[in-house]
This record gives sequence, C-alpha cells and structure tokens, in this order.
Amino acid sequence: MNETVSLPLKITVGVILALVVAPLLVPVLMSISDTPYIVFPPQGFTLKWYGEVLANPEARGSFLFSLELATIVTAVSLLLGIPCAAGLTRHKVPGQDAVLGLILSPLIVPLIVTGVALLQVFALMGWRSTLTQLVIGHTVVCLPYVIRSVSASLLLVNRNLEDAAAVLGAPPHVVAIKVIWPQVRPGILAGGTFCFIVSFDDYPVSMWLADGNHFPVPLYLYTIVERSFDPSIAAIASLMIFFALLLVLVIEKVFGLSLARLAS
Amino acid sequence: MSHFESIDLPERATPRVAKRGADTKLGAFARWAAQAWERATSTRMAGYLLVAPAVLFLAVWFVWPVLTMVHLSLTSRVVDGVSVEGFTLENYVRLFSSDLYFRILLRTVRIALLTSLFAALFAYPLAIAIARGGPTLARLVTITILAPLLVNVVVRSYGWQTILNKTGALAWVLKMFGISNPPVLLYTEWAVLIACVHVYLPFMVMPIAGAIGRIDRSVEEAARVAGATRPAVLTRVILPLSMPGLAVGASLVFSLSAAAYVTPQILGGNFSPLLGTLIEQQILTLNDWPFGAAISTLLIALVLAANLIFLKLVSRRFARWTAGAR
Repeated sequence: MNETVSLPLKITVGVILALVVAPLLVPVLMSISDTPYIVFPPQGFTLKWYGEVLANPEARGSFLFSLELATIVTAVSLLLGIPCAAGLTRHKVPGQDAVLGLILSPLIVPLIVTGVALLQVFALMGWRSTLTQLVIGHTVVCLPYVIRSVSASLLLVNRNLEDAAAVLGAPPHVVAIKVIWPQVRPGILAGGTFCFIVSFDDYPVSMWLADGNHFPVPLYLYTIVERSFDPSIAAIASLMIFFALLLVLVIEKVFGLSLARLAS
Repeated sequence: MSHFESIDLPERATPRVAKRGADTKLGAFARWAAQAWERATSTRMAGYLLVAPAVLFLAVWFVWPVLTMVHLSLTSRVVDGVSVEGFTLENYVRLFSSDLYFRILLRTVRIALLTSLFAALFAYPLAIAIARGGPTLARLVTITILAPLLVNVVVRSYGWQTILNKTGALAWVLKMFGISNPPVLLYTEWAVLIACVHVYLPFMVMPIAGAIGRIDRSVEEAARVAGATRPAVLTRVILPLSMPGLAVGASLVFSLSAAAYVTPQILGGNFSPLLGTLIEQQILTLNDWPFGAAISTLLIALVLAANLIFLKLVSRRFARWTAGAR
C-alpha cells in the first residue's frame, strides 16, 4: 500500500481547496473592475479603486491604530506570559491544575461575551480610557495563546545542557542567554506572532470597547462592507489578503516558523 | 534551581567569564539581575511569584467581569425602561417564552450543529491528505487551509458576499450551465452556513489530521491484508480511531459558530440573526443590560455544554471501541 492517497481523494481535495480559495480570489478579481458597482466577471481594468483606498485617511488611521494596539498587546502579553510559563513549567506551583484552568478559560468563553462583560465592568467603574481598555480586552484573549506556546517550548528545554554549562563555569546569566534562550526562542516568537495576529484581527472584543478615535481595522472594514457597494471595498479586501500573504511569507521565511506550528 | 547547588563550580573557569561580563555597566547589571533572579527562583515562593501577575490579570479582567455579568442577569430586570433590583429569573423566562427569542436560540444551535457537520465532512479528505499524503501534498493542503486564518473574518465573509451576490461569481457560473434564475442565497441561513463552514474549517481539519497521523499505519495495512476495501478501511479503521480529533474539532467549531457575530451580520443581514446579534441589539440599541447579560450567560452555558458533550461522550465511546479492539 504505497499509494495511500487515491486519485478520487486527490480530486476531492482539489475541489475543496478551490472552494477554500475562491472567496479570497473573487474580491481580488472584482477589485480591478472599471464599473461603479461590483460585478463578476470584472469589466475593463483599472487600479483607481486601490488609489482611492490608499489615499483614504480613515483607512490609513485605522491601519496605524491597529498596528499600535497589536504591538502594545503583544508586549504586555509576553511580559505577563513568559514568567507565567516559566513558573508553570520549571517550578511546582500548588494548585497547578486550577491555575491552568484559569489561564485557558478565556479560550472557552465566547469572545463576544468576554467583550461585553469587560464593557460592563468598565462602565461600572466609570472609567473612560479607550486605548487602555482595548489593550486589556485584547490581552485577556491573547495571553492564553502566549502562555501555551512558551510553556510548550520550555518543556522541551534540555536541562542537562544547563547543568553542563554551569559545570563548565558559565554564570546564570550566561546560561540564560546562551543556553536557555536559543531553545525557547521559537516558542516565544510563535506566541508573540500569534498574539499580534489575534489582536490585529479581533472584532468581537473591539466592537464593544472601541470608539471613533480608536477604530481598529476590522471595525473599519465592517462599516465599509455595510455602507458602500463600489469596488473600493474589493480593493481594501484585496489589500488585506495581500497583507496576509506577506505575513505568511514573513512567518515562514524570516521567522522560520511553520504555519502549522502557529495554529497548534 | 536547587539541583545546581550541589555542584561545585570549578574555581578556574568562573572568574574569567564573570569578569568579561563585569567589564561594562550593562554586564554588571546583567550579572546582578541574573543573581537576583537565581535567588528569587530558588525559593519556594518562586513559582507563585512568576505565575502571579498573569493569574491576577486574568482574575481581575476576565473572571470578575464574567461573574459580574452572570450576577447582573439574576439580580436585575428592566421594566418599561427602568431597572428593578432583586433576585429574578425573569430575564431567562423571557428568553425561553418569547417566540422571537426562542427562534433565534434554535437557529443558533441549528447553524452551529450544521456547521460542525459540514466542516467534518469537508475536513476528512483534507486531513487524510495531510496525514497520509506525500510531503508536498501535505504542505500544500496545510498552507492553503491555514493561510485564510490570517485574512480578517470580515474580508472572508465579504468574499462570500461577492460570490453569492445577484451579479456575483456563483450566478455567473450557473448562467454558463444554462441556469438563468439562480437561487437567492445571500441574506439567508444558507449563506451564513456556507460562510461559517469556510471560516471555521481549519479548526476541524487540524485536530483530525493530528488524530489520523497518530494512527499506526500497520493497523490500516492489516485491515487491507485481511481483505477490507478502501471505504471499509475508512469507515471501520480511520473514522473510529480519529474520534478524539473529531471531538476536539467539533467542540471548537460548534463553540465558534454559535458565538459568531460578523459572518451572520454580513451574510444573513437582518433576516437571520444569531444570539451574538441579539446580545448586541439588547445592549447597544435597547440598553437592556440584564437581558443582554442573560443571553450572554446562556451562550456560555451552550458552549460549555457542547464541549462537555462532544469531549466526554466521544471519549467514553472511544475508550469502549479501543477496548473492544484489543
């Protein structure tokens, strides 16, 4: 049984993959249509919709704000998550199961509920600081991923290498930098990258906490999908798709992480 | 790290490395920090200290808000726009007794179940290709399945709008086949279902692929040698043995689609709202916080129930199957 994947299966897989890719390809095709409305197949060729989008200050503002937000959220999540992962994997923490349950619970509760619950306590406190509230909301969602990813790589660290380095005379900080860091780097990189993506793409938490001056990209995309019908939406959608492809390249080639590892 | 303490560091090597570190102020600081770290981590409190910030953060900004919300749903209700305090089940009674709200609840469960079912149907061929195909095929399928996860869910839902539209890609394809009056799918439950399956498919494929990858190939070969046809191997070997993966995938996809907001809004319009839309309307439009809190609590309960049912039932059945196989 060498040929484990039969031809009918290959064809089925091909058809499903085509269906998976279709909703990403069709907007790209429609974005070059020289018509004031969405039509398939596209008619004529123009790049004016891209020009319009790139010149739009609202779109640019949202994009920059989302980058800023995701960067802060990633920094805060790593700052809280790395020590926590170290504590959980390298020390005996009493009540470890309860702690783990608490840490992973934000992954079970629906995001839309997490968002509305936070809005409620922020309202009770009478606190108005949109950026801080968004950072808190996103960090609640991202922290479990960071802790899981960093813990997984810390569990794989070979303790014998640390002992060997210490025996050979390396002081603790050298052990940390030269022995432990190279081994946990992929886990921290994967956790941080995933955290950034989750924050950048979040809709269900931001929808409760954002305001007009702090308007992340997903909310902006949603409003224009709801209110306009010309191919400029397709152009924005295409730009987001190109951005995602760029991200795939960066993750795979620059960071040397496989997508499968990120998702696991 | 207590296991270090029993080891005597050689006198000769230590000062050389330490001195090089102390040459600069930064080096001295790094050494001081590392020693402080070592002292802190060698005490019994170290685990607590390391874990505490993250645990406190989640206790304050996750557990407390969720509990406050559940509490609100039980202690307050809005009558004629004025909130009345005191223990009440009114909000939940309203949810189940009103025809409108109950229909939305049923629709949510229906869409979530159908999404899990169709996602599983599409996921199996892909998972088999990932787990059993050659490296090129496995990599191609994995990347094609996972890359869309990096595309925002608003864009993916919009993509389906451009396909299902009256002037969209599907209508054009059907016209080529001579169907000039294509069925109206956009702004129906079907559109929501199609897009949900697409958006959440990766969460079904990856756990199933993992489970199939863990099945010993010799089991399949044994079945083939014993005369099983390909479909028989699929239904009587791969399917039962991949149940744990299916259970994980199904509980993930059910939870995610039950709580979906963006996809039903963009593709279902105002005609087929789910619970997420109902929460948003009650709180942001009608300002009825207690009722919104009750729907949110119900959504949590729904997701928890699904997780328990999928994971517990299937794992028990799986235990029986594997026990029978031995």
